[in-house]
Amino acid sequence: MVLAGGLGGAGGVAAATQPPFREFRRGGMLYRRLGQTDLFVSTLSFGSHTNPAYRVAAERGTALNEDGQALRDRHIAKAFDRGVNMVDVYENAGQWQPMAQTVRGRRDKVLVSICRQFSQFAGRHIDAAAGLFGHVDLYRIALNPGPDIDEKTFEDWDAIRRAKRMGKVRAIGVSLHDERKMVSCLKELEGLDFIMFPYNFIHARADYSEFLPKAIEQGVGLIAIKPLAAGSIAKLDPMARPGSTPEDPRVRLYKRGNRPVHPAVVEKLTRSLNRIPGESLCQAALRFVYSKPFITSAMPGMFQEQELDDNYDAISRHLELSHRLSHTELNVLAAAQDLSRARGPGWLPSHYRWLDRCWRT
Amino acid sequence: MGGAGKPHLTSHLFSFGLAILIVFANLVAAEQPPQDEAAPAPDSGQKEFKEAGVCVRCHIVSVLEWGISGHRQAATTCQSCHGRSEGHVANERNEIKPQRLPRGADIAGQLCLTCHQSGCPESKQLQTCQQCHHVHALVHPTQPRAADSDHTNDILQRWDGFKAHMARGRQHVENQQWTSAHAAFQSALKLIPDDRRARMQWNMCRRRIDPAMPGFRIVGDKVESATGLPRDVEVVGFDIKMGMVPPGEFDIGSNALADSQPVHTVRVEPFYLGRSEVTQAQWRAVMDTNPAGHQGESFPESKTLPVERVSWDDCMQFISRLNDRVAGGGFRLPTEAQWEYACRSGANQAFRPNDIGASSWYRANSLRNAEPESEFLELEAYAPRPVGTRRPNRWGFLDMQGNVGEWCSSMWRPYVYDRNDGRESNGQAGLRVVRGGSYADPSAGLDPALRHAERPNRRLRFNGLRLARGVPPPALPKSIDRSK
Repeated sequence: MVLAGGLGGAGGVAAATQPPFREFRRGGMLYRRLGQTDLFVSTLSFGSHTNPAYRVAAERGTALNEDGQALRDRHIAKAFDRGVNMVDVYENAGQWQPMAQTVRGRRDKVLVSICRQFSQFAGRHIDAAAGLFGHVDLYRIALNPGPDIDEKTFEDWDAIRRAKRMGKVRAIGVSLHDERKMVSCLKELEGLDFIMFPYNFIHARADYSEFLPKAIEQGVGLIAIKPLAAGSIAKLDPMARPGSTPEDPRVRLYKRGNRPVHPAVVEKLTRSLNRIPGESLCQAALRFVYSKPFITSAMPGMFQEQELDDNYDAISRHLELSHRLSHTELNVLAAAQDLSRARGPGWLPSHYRWLDRCWRT
Repeated sequence: MGGAGKPHLTSHLFSFGLAILIVFANLVAAEQPPQDEAAPAPDSGQKEFKEAGVCVRCHIVSVLEWGISGHRQAATTCQSCHGRSEGHVANERNEIKPQRLPRGADIAGQLCLTCHQSGCPESKQLQTCQQCHHVHALVHPTQPRAADSDHTNDILQRWDGFKAHMARGRQHVENQQWTSAHAAFQSALKLIPDDRRARMQWNMCRRRIDPAMPGFRIVGDKVESATGLPRDVEVVGFDIKMGMVPPGEFDIGSNALADSQPVHTVRVEPFYLGRSEVTQAQWRAVMDTNPAGHQGESFPESKTLPVERVSWDDCMQFISRLNDRVAGGGFRLPTEAQWEYACRSGANQAFRPNDIGASSWYRANSLRNAEPESEFLELEAYAPRPVGTRRPNRWGFLDMQGNVGEWCSSMWRPYVYDRNDGRESNGQAGLRVVRGGSYADPSAGLDPALRHAERPNRRLRFNGLRLARGVPPPALPKSIDRSK
């Protein structure tokens, strides 16, 4: 690992000849450079999904009720204290205004990531966000599946690039799930700084054989969304630890699967996990993501304080143990893959089951 | 010796100063960017300047002195005596001195004797070399060489004659006697062919005598005084109005924008620029097609709307066809330096976003329907407007900011802008610059310094074009034109 201080005093000539440093550590957090930008993002970032147990209907999408908002604000504040420096903000989750208040006073230390989810003109959307947050650190458009990028997307992309030139946005990107379209984006979208794409140890079996090498070669920043497969990896964990109990009893995140699984598979996973004292399957899954140097940050959704702690501990373990996973740790992941296969597509939440087809190819 | 030597020394210094002036004039001419059309190649300058390399940037006099020395003929360079002195070269504030810089009596011991170990071949002296040898020129410090006198006299005579012809020419210009003035400036150019001011005056008179330009119909009688070019013209056979952009220098860029730094000075030669963006009707007249996204029943005024959804490659085709059909050809896209110069009307003041409402179509005033602004608007809610419906800038150009972004000829490269570094080559692959912002941009996007770039094959509904045409200088007579 190269520390920031190592090159801090380098002269102009040396700086021109040496590659820029890619990552550094501060406290218990690891920060990585986002592609070729000058942004350093914490390897654990805060996802935008809100806890469904507290959602209420709003004019555009949903919002959180008072309790839910207070809880989320507390979690985010704790995440900032732990060194998390990027938070994704969904407009349709009613989080723009609350987040603008949360980051006020520490705007220089927090990277705000905004996504255009609807078909409104991106140039105008950015202006609205920049008006609220001062500027937008990461701006992206969510692309629908399909191999081709349509003309309107190009026009929106042009508006986004212009906004970046005006200093309203610092890094621009896309989020999507379709590998063929990811490849198209690399080829067609000028000035692409980052891509948010689903990446976890199960998904990695599809290995993105075309996309990943190209993205790495182009130096595009890669942010892993769904590092815990929309929470489903937690559900694979046969060790429903007491500490993982949800704070809200209505949320049963760590519930058992609703389909019988061969006990031998569960036992195999349990045995493997038992050989790594103190580590949960989720932590092993996150450490798998952190072990990939091309991933800038993993962005799990976090609804509970316990999850934030677990995910943060995964970074500590990553920093303390090794950047590469041991044979035992890989065995855990292999056993979890077997378990997910045994459960079938039902291991994912119903609205994400289509992903299983992509991930198994 | 003092009394006899003084006039000699004065004359020597005067001619020396004159020589430096002439060399400077050559240098300045050599630094100008080439004009659009074939201009006479500037003199290649003094060879000793090239041989002296970076040292000449500051030590012109020393290099000129060294240029007439035997040291130069023997390839004994500045570094031979003063060392490589890299620190001195890199330190512009001159806080680091050259590696070897002895003074007075130390010069002989520390420099001369390192090569001439047995002393002076004539006097056998081992010290005080500077009594007989100038420190750089090596010739006697006070006695000019016999051959120099004729050379100096010749330069002085030519210089005096040049000044007289120029004064006569300027007098004729004041009296608007263009033919006589033309003859006077031509006589001046015969004496000093590379003089830039004489060449400009000669060009101006020539154009005053014969203002016609192939492919252009002159509109009105306004003439730009410095160049003699008509201010307003129209492309023959096409309803495209163009205006003259006078030559000058301006500060390109903005330190407030990351891609537009540093602010630096660029010289722009005179050229013609479209008074407004190319319209859909003009595009159709040349290409027989209309690719614009804003046409049909929803846009009854579409003929006067700027053409858009044209790529840079499409623009090259448009220009190629236009050049085939208009006598003289020479149409092109403006360079980004030309564009910014014309947009700023040559002024250097900072961009004020609040001042553009009356002169530009941009997001705040380009909603298609006059309904109150909703928070949720798609791109289709905005549209370009007919060209020439807002206030022109100081030089009379319309819609320079907003309406549609304008393709420039320049390839996207970081500043400093240098038109000779390949960025103006049409054949190279790479992003092409788009300037001016569009109807869909906020006011901040209309900053004249804001540089944007797009792939040359990309057709977007924000981007159109504005024509430019260089001004070929009148051909010099063969007796003067040294490039022949």
